[in-house]
Order: sequence, then structure tokens, then C-alpha cells
Amino acid sequence: MKQFGALLRKDSQPVRYLVVDDSVFARKNLIKMIEMFGGELAGEAGDGLTAIAEYNRIKPDIVLMDITMPQMEGIEAVERIVRQHADARIVMVSSVGYQENILAALQKGAKHFVQKPVKPEVLYEILRYVLSDDPSAAGAPLALAGESRS
Amino acid sequence: MSRPSEDRSGELRALFFESAAELLQALNEAGLELEARPADEEVIRRVRRVVHTLKGDSAACGLHKLSELAHELEDVLTPQVAGLDGAELAEVVLTAADSLQAMLAAYQKNAKLPTLDAFHKMIRRLLETPETASNPGPGAAKGPTQFAWTEYEQLMISEAVHRGEPVYNIALRIDATSLMRAAAFQLIRNVLHGSGTVIALRPEDNLAAATVEVVEAALASTQSEEKLFHRCRIPTIVSEVQIERVVASQMPEHELLGDLLEAQAAKFVAAGAEGIEADKAAKTTTPGSAAAAVAESTLRVDAARIDAVMNLVGELIIGKSMLNRTLTEFDKQHSHDPVRAKLADAMAFQARILDELHKCVLKIRMVPVEQLFRRFPRIVRDVAKQCGKDVALEVSGQNTDLDKGILDALAEPLMHLVRNAVDHGVGSPEERLAAAKPARGTVYLNAYHQGTQVVIEVRDDGRGIDLTLVRAHAVKKGVVKPEEAERMSDQDALNLIFESGFSTAREVTEVSGRGIGMDVVRTVMDRLKGSIHVSSQRGRGTTFQLRVPLTLASIQALLFRVGGRLFAVPLSSVVEITRITDHQIHKVDQREVLRLREQILTLVRLNHLSRLRSIDLPSVKKRNFVIVIGAAEKRFGLVVDSLVGEEELVIKALPGEIVSSDLVSGASILGDGTVVLILNVPVMVSRLSRATPLGAIA
Repeated sequence: MKQFGALLRKDSQPVRYLVVDDSVFARKNLIKMIEMFGGELAGEAGDGLTAIAEYNRIKPDIVLMDITMPQMEGIEAVERIVRQHADARIVMVSSVGYQENILAALQKGAKHFVQKPVKPEVLYEILRYVLSDDPSAAGAPLALAGESRS
Repeated sequence: MSRPSEDRSGELRALFFESAAELLQALNEAGLELEARPADEEVIRRVRRVVHTLKGDSAACGLHKLSELAHELEDVLTPQVAGLDGAELAEVVLTAADSLQAMLAAYQKNAKLPTLDAFHKMIRRLLETPETASNPGPGAAKGPTQFAWTEYEQLMISEAVHRGEPVYNIALRIDATSLMRAAAFQLIRNVLHGSGTVIALRPEDNLAAATVEVVEAALASTQSEEKLFHRCRIPTIVSEVQIERVVASQMPEHELLGDLLEAQAAKFVAAGAEGIEADKAAKTTTPGSAAAAVAESTLRVDAARIDAVMNLVGELIIGKSMLNRTLTEFDKQHSHDPVRAKLADAMAFQARILDELHKCVLKIRMVPVEQLFRRFPRIVRDVAKQCGKDVALEVSGQNTDLDKGILDALAEPLMHLVRNAVDHGVGSPEERLAAAKPARGTVYLNAYHQGTQVVIEVRDDGRGIDLTLVRAHAVKKGVVKPEEAERMSDQDALNLIFESGFSTAREVTEVSGRGIGMDVVRTVMDRLKGSIHVSSQRGRGTTFQLRVPLTLASIQALLFRVGGRLFAVPLSSVVEITRITDHQIHKVDQREVLRLREQILTLVRLNHLSRLRSIDLPSVKKRNFVIVIGAAEKRFGLVVDSLVGEEELVIKALPGEIVSSDLVSGASILGDGTVVLILNVPVMVSRLSRATPLGAIA
């Protein structure tokens, strides 16, 4: 198996992940990769609502979020999380067919996306990129978008 | 699909053919240049721009065959292909110009479209040959960059650079393996917007991004080049990054919009100058070119030449007033000399001719705003459709004349305002019905003369601007402090949208979110010596008023003295002049007022208006003159010591460092060399109404 250098936070602590997917298998698969990258699984969720609750509870560094889930879709979950936590780092995980949804999620403030089936080396690069971002410079969508005249 | 009325679309077509003819001329020229300097990337870029414009315009006009042809041509003009064989490319460009011209002429005469097999064959051959180059080597990364920003974007870039903000031209190649182009593009957009202010972006929307390989942007950012490079290397999305910092010396020399316009006009005419003769020759020699049948009834002249004439006329006017003064002196000394009368006659004659000459020169530059307005029905329709709204456009005052240079400069700001009105101003049909308004929103576009100014209004009957949001956003962006925002009057709060830094460039909508903020609109207005005013009523709508001078050259003015200094106001804003004695002045609420024929008139003393305090106090006199000045619907009386007379003033612009007050709009030199300050009436009125809480001026 390929070896990866550990991805760590700025304070050298392991990166804490929240993995959201309705498929247990998909979650396991992702968790395995996270552990390969030296990360720590802080929480799991099988739907959007639980994801929001878990986010608020554990404040993870990274969320890996599936797009299509029961109860609440990933896009809405992204929107709600970003609204409360402008610096949230969410990476969408989805199949190729869902371009529209990914587009929407990005507009709501998701940081990146990765296509299923997820390849570890691809996810690694993406995570490294997303983690290198300075949260203060990160883009949360504007609350004022509807009324302002830009 | 509702089409614009026959009349409208006819006009639109006429406009299209006019501009298409210009574009083809440019194409011809570029072709010739390419022949001379085959590998000149700048020329190729220019050709591409021209073809691109032609493609867009013809598509908008419904001339699909033409648009397709242009599109094909555009494909050939990719740098990889173009770089191969310059000489052949020149041939293609020239053939293309002929083919396009033949097609245009056919469209124009409603004739059968020509078959252009030769042209198609040529394109196919060109597209096939470069197989060798289809595998671009490492050096090819430089190739695809165009950075073909519009004049407007260039202006914004150059402004940012001159303000000292680092601006970068960034080219990102979308990873060839990326299957989701639109999503990739959105992500790139997010990253760019997160790294600074996006001044320009190609492609402009997600839709176009589906076919694009390279995203280009102009970004103003305080982040280091290295940091930007790393931010832009988005894994799985971007395979190649190219960043170059825009330095001031790279920018086109023209810093001022006026220069920019002139340069453009000059470019244009350089094309036209040899054009007229060469054109005719070309037309007769090109077989199959039916264009010769279309006569040209207008003459294109270099704008710089007209300006030179204008300047000379200005000098003549100063000369006239010198002569007048001399004549007055002569009068005093030799009141009985018979030569005096002859001189006076000659003077009067000359003055009349000079007056005519001046008017004629001004008229050369004037065009009806119609030229600009007629683009908007289509724009409103498209934007409304894009955001799922039902919006009508009502246009009035199309016949108002305005200086061509000013009109051209207004195009982009106006476009921005109209798009905004449709996109943000007017609500969705459901929202409107809920507010007891007709589902169909209306955007009004109006133009009229007011004094020496032209006013252009963009009004919508939408939801208005939410001041609470504006305040909150301004505080968030650090434009104002929270306490300040609290204390601000509603109008002042509204004006916050013009502050630089307020712009909400991160907008996600396709329509207005191009990163050009209202502050930029205001900057353009300042350049034009104009102003922008916004008023908004929650739930009732928003109005933007753009005011620009009719012409930048000269005005009829009334001269008067206050406290020993000479001032002038535009004669067109003077309603009447009256004499008053001190006891006619009353005091109401700390303000001096005058009762003039049953009307209460607020009196203004120049020395009381904040920034002109350095003027000596007017001599205390029993009797004074009051100049009644009207602007918009407001009137006020200006108390002056003495009247000097009426004179044609050639306005000389004042650099900002010399006059710090916006109450003065310019200065002029009289025949005897005296400097006179010209008061800015609209600013005085607004200053006045701000100081009067009740606004009870009229």
C-alpha cells in the first residue's frame, strides 16, 4: 500500500474529520483513507440533519460530505453549516452524474469536491490543499446576496 | 418568444450592420498586418477579439449562419494553430473578411446567402495540419493566454494598479481529466473570489465553462504571488497555473477615460482614413463582394481633429472677450471717434459667427442617447429570462443629445445599473404579487436635459434597497464603524453602496456578479465630471440618476462678485435676478429667507457654505443682489455683492489638489486674465438640502 505523509493541523495535532454518507461501506472506505493520512475520525453521520448536529458538537476540521442522502441532502446541510460556521471546510464526495448538485454545493460554500470512486492519492491532494487554506481568507457566501447591488 | 417590434429589430439590425462594417475593416487591417509580421501575437489576439465580437453580435441579431462562420474562424485562431504558419493565417483572415463581408451584404439585402466552400476548406485544412502541435510541449503553457480584457476592464485594472493594488493576470488550465467542467469552473471562481477582487474573468459563466480549457482572470489581491500560485493550483481541477503581475508600465498609457476614448477613436479612424479610398478599391476588386452596393453616407473623422477644432474655438472665445474689453476701454477714451461704431459693428458680426461656429463644432460630437438605449430592450429581456423574472423596459427621452465620448463612456456603467435593476431590483413574480404589485416588473430608462447637464435615469419598481442590510454590510466590510452607521441619515446610508470596498463581488448570480461594484460606476462618473445619485423607497423601487455635462467644453455663465472674488454660475440655472434691501430678509430656523412674490426663498451666502470660508466677508451693505438659482425642483437665492455680466466661459478643468471644494466645478480665464471660479450648482443644492432638515426650499 502506498504510504502517505501525515496531514496535520497547524498545531501538529491530527486533523479531525466528520464523515457523512448514507452508505456504511462508503463511510468505512473513507475512514480507512483518513487513517492512512494520519487523521482522526471525530464523528460520522448518515444524513444531513445528523451531520449538522454532529458538526455543532464536535467542530471537526474537515467534513467529507456525500451529496445524495435521506432526510436532508448534502447541499442543504452545507448551506446550514456554512451559515453558522463561515470557516467550515467541507469537501463534497459524489459521483460524476451530479454536476449540478456539486455546483450548488460549491455556491453554498463547499471548499472542494472529489469524485466517487474516491482514490486515496486524489483525496490526499485535495485535503492537503483544503487544509492549507487560511480560514480568514476563505469564502463564505454573502448573506446580503439578494439585496446588495454589486 | 416575444420578439422586439419590427421597428426595433430593424433598428438593431442597422446598428449591427454599422458596427459589423467597422469590425470587418479592423479584420482587413489586421490581416494586412499579419502578412507583414506573421507571428505578431498581439495582432492575432486582436483578430480573435474582433471575430469574437462579431460572433456574439450576429448571434444576438439572429444571423446564425454568420455567427457560425465567425465561430469556426475563432476555432482556427487559437494560438496553437495560429502560431504555426503566420503567412497562411494572414491569408485566412483576409479571406474570412471577404467571406464575412459577402455574407453580411447578403443578409443586408435579404439576398440568398453565398456558399463559402473555399473558406470552409481552408479552415478544415488549417485545423488538420497542426496535429504535430496538438501535443503542446512545455513551452506551450504560455500560448493559450489571451488576457483580452475589454476596454472597461482594462480601465479597472489600470486604476487598481495606479492605486497601488497588486493586480495579477492569471491563467488556469482546467485539468483535462476533470469530467465536471462547470463544477471545476465554479470552484476556481470560489478560490479566486476568496483570494482578492476579481476584476475580469473569462469565461464569464458556468455555461460557457463547459467547453473551455483555460480560465483567465484579472485579480487584485494583496496576497503574495507565491501564495496565489499555491491557491490556484487546485488539485484535480487545475493542471497548470500561470500568474503574471500587471505592472504600471504594461498598462496602456491612457490613464484617463477621455484619453482612452480618444485613443480608441483614433484607432478606429486610422482604420477609416486610408479606409475610404482603399475600401472602394477593395470593393471593386473583390469579386462576389456585394458590399459595394451599400452606400455610406457618413464621414468618419478622427475625434482628435474635432477636439483640436474645439480647442481653437475655445481660444477664439477668450480672444473675443479680450477684444470686447479693449473696445470698452477705447469707448471710454474716444467716445466720439467714428471708428468706434465701425469697430463695434465688426465685433458684433464676428461674435455672431463665432457663436455659430461654436455650436456647429459642439454638434459634431453630439449623438442622441438612442444609440445607447436601443441595446437595452434585448439586455433586459435576456437578464430577466435568466433570473426567471417578468420585466418590461420603458424607454423615454431617446432624442436627448449627448457628447459621443461621454455617451460611450456611459455604456458600461449604465449596463451595470440596468442589469442590477433587473437582477436585484425587481423581485420574482410571486414576491411581487405578494406585495400587491403586478407580477410584471418595469425598469424605466429616461434621459433629459437639465441646464447644461444631461440626466439619465434608471428606475425600477422593485423592492428597493434594504438600508438595514446596507448598513450591516458596510460595517462588516469595514467601510464604516458601527456607531457611524447608526448615526447616518438614510440617504447617507444609501450612498454607502458607492464606497469602494462595499462591492459585493462575491455574488453568485451569473448576471451581475462580475465583480464590478457600484464604486466603479461612481469612478466613471467622476471622470466624466458627472455625478450619480441614488434614491430608494423600501417596497417601491430604486432610482439611479446619472448626471453628466452636455459637453466638457464651455458654458454661458453669469459672473458676479462676493467678497472681492469673482464667481460664475451657469446661466441656464439662473431663474431670475432681484434686488433686495436688508429689511426684506427674515430669519426662520437659523436661515435667512426672502419672500419673493408670495414664495419663500432660502438665501445662501457663499461664505456660509462650509468650504468656501476663506472668502472675505461680503461688505456690509444695505442693498444686495439676489440671484435666484434653480436646479432640479429646488430653488434658492444667492446673495451677491455685485453683478459683473454674462459671458461665454471656456471651462478649464481644475486638478483636485488645487480646489478642495466640490462646490466649484471648474475655472475659466477671462479676456483680461482674471480667473473666475464656476460654481457647481447641483452640489450646492444638495449641500443645502442636507443642511435643511425640512428640505423646505422651493
